[in-house]
Amino acid sequence: MSNKEDILKRYRANVREKYNMPDLSDIAAIRYPDPLVQFIKMTESVGGRVIEIKPGQDFNMLVKELYPDAKEIASNLPEVTIATKNPDTIGQARDLNGTDVGIIRGQFGVAENACVWIPQTMKEKAICFISENLVILLPKSQIVNNMHEAYQRIEFDKEYDGYGTFISGPSKTADIAQVLVMGAQAARSATVLLLPE
Amino acid sequence: MSTQHSKAAKEFLKNQTYAKWHDATFWAVRSKRDNMAYGLDEWEQLREKASAIKRHTITHLDEYLDQFATNAEKNGCIVHWAKDAEEFNMIVLDILTQHNVKKIVKSKSMLTEECEMNPYLEKHGIEVIETDLGERIIQLKGQKPSHIVMPAIHLNHDDVGELFEEKLGSEKGNHEPTYLTYVARLSLRNEFLTADAGMTGGNFGIAQTGDIVVCTNEGNADMSTSCPKLHIAAIGLEKIIPNYDCLAVFQRMLCRAGTGQPTTTYTSHFRKARPTAHPMHIILVDNGRSEWIGNPKHWESLKCIRCGSCMNTCPVYRRSGGYSYSYFIPGPIGINLGMLRDVKQHSGNVSACTLCLSCQAVCPVKVNLGDQIYLWRQQLDDFGTANKQKKMMCRGMSMVYGSEGIYNLGTSLAHWANIIPSPLINCGLNPWADGHKMMTFPKRPFHKLIKDLEK
Repeated sequence: MSNKEDILKRYRANVREKYNMPDLSDIAAIRYPDPLVQFIKMTESVGGRVIEIKPGQDFNMLVKELYPDAKEIASNLPEVTIATKNPDTIGQARDLNGTDVGIIRGQFGVAENACVWIPQTMKEKAICFISENLVILLPKSQIVNNMHEAYQRIEFDKEYDGYGTFISGPSKTADIAQVLVMGAQAARSATVLLLPE
Repeated sequence: MSTQHSKAAKEFLKNQTYAKWHDATFWAVRSKRDNMAYGLDEWEQLREKASAIKRHTITHLDEYLDQFATNAEKNGCIVHWAKDAEEFNMIVLDILTQHNVKKIVKSKSMLTEECEMNPYLEKHGIEVIETDLGERIIQLKGQKPSHIVMPAIHLNHDDVGELFEEKLGSEKGNHEPTYLTYVARLSLRNEFLTADAGMTGGNFGIAQTGDIVVCTNEGNADMSTSCPKLHIAAIGLEKIIPNYDCLAVFQRMLCRAGTGQPTTTYTSHFRKARPTAHPMHIILVDNGRSEWIGNPKHWESLKCIRCGSCMNTCPVYRRSGGYSYSYFIPGPIGINLGMLRDVKQHSGNVSACTLCLSCQAVCPVKVNLGDQIYLWRQQLDDFGTANKQKKMMCRGMSMVYGSEGIYNLGTSLAHWANIIPSPLINCGLNPWADGHKMMTFPKRPFHKLIKDLEK
């Protein structure tokens, strides 16, 4: 007998009483009068930053202003005109090390905890973590209230269908004496640029 | 009469300044958890649902495991099944050897601690680098975690500063946490870039999609899987849940309960390897779980999602630290899991509980932690691990309380004990005098006073 069958058989034999799946449709999950306002508030509280892009404004200029010393900017997005590296055409993932600013797209944000759903839409997902500063482009109409709504609608990319992540603010740790420090192993800052319709 | 736990706790309490900081720190985490819980009207409803989902899932786990494995394989992953720690370690080594891996970076995994994987791999010549900052610190220090979410909580910033001076060449005397975190970042960054494989644990496995879901604040699980060409995910059987609707419930609770944050920074779904990497390996580990589900009194410990909230709130954990427990997971859940693992070895932990039940009042999946500890205590005599002194005392007490004559004689004579000189009674022979002074016995016992009042 294979290990799988052996383990499953033993488990099955040892289960005593069986319990039914509860109804999850009646969860009275939190909703907000204005999810966008809550999303902005939460993003700031987890150490991130939110900037609204006005209609007609070029966010490329804004990124340049926000990170005047940035030499390496990575992105595979056609609307990003200031990229110096492309995670789709780079030789190896590790070549993205040294990226000052990585610019990626988020699908939607979650008001209750500032999570942004980011399915992998590039060949090397390292860009989302290895960049010193992360910039996420997010259409401002795409904010859901809570994670129940979020998990109803997450989708993976058709081409890069192996990975997706929720990101809420910059990488952080409190592992040294419980002091909160931003910038543990991944991006040291996270900025969400809210795009107009 | 002291158990192994209270003897170890004595060591912890020698440094009173640190002991007080430890207690206050965890109480602060508990308070942050409360703020999160009170911030959601549906919190108690979520706990009910989470508990019911887990009860359902772990009593139908054979079906969900099969579904998970089928979907993961459909996604292109290679799924392995390990019946115990030894087999798990061998499978990992085998995969690494096949890919000629010399160095592996890994995110925090209590399962790999459980299986003692790191020393096994190191013995076989593989360099293992922990990448969660807390785990990295204790790895450099040659220690084990003292908490499942905050593994290096027993060290202060000076301890870490001195360690980094020695191991990572940080500036002498600069023990500022922001600086030290940056030093670790630079050193770990180099490891991520040069490792041949990355390993993660898994907070959840999703049966319906085959996703492995990993929650971190540091982004180290994502870094561990972004550069190396090989990803191995190790997950205990009980971490599989049915679908995303269930995941939403747990995702909302895990971090709120554990650290008092609304979410971890990263909630990452790994479905298959990146396009430029080898196929992803998933190892499902039994190591006792298929037996524990059959334990009529203790099977619900399998509901645990390892948030750590039971230890944060536990008055005994807060005042005795993780190293006072004999099992590698401390606190209420560790007491119970340790007993499921090996009663002979871990019976000393069951006394580390005041039965205040704060643990089960905060547990997001409603594991009846304190009730279970009480039940373990009732079984110690059957296991042959009951404390002899306590057993003798219990016999004596049932004799006294079982006979009105002896009881009345005892209480009327008790006040004579007051005139015994203090050094004789507050001494090492009297375990009750350890840590506090003996009481003064009243001349007239309580039941006599009451009778007089009623006259």
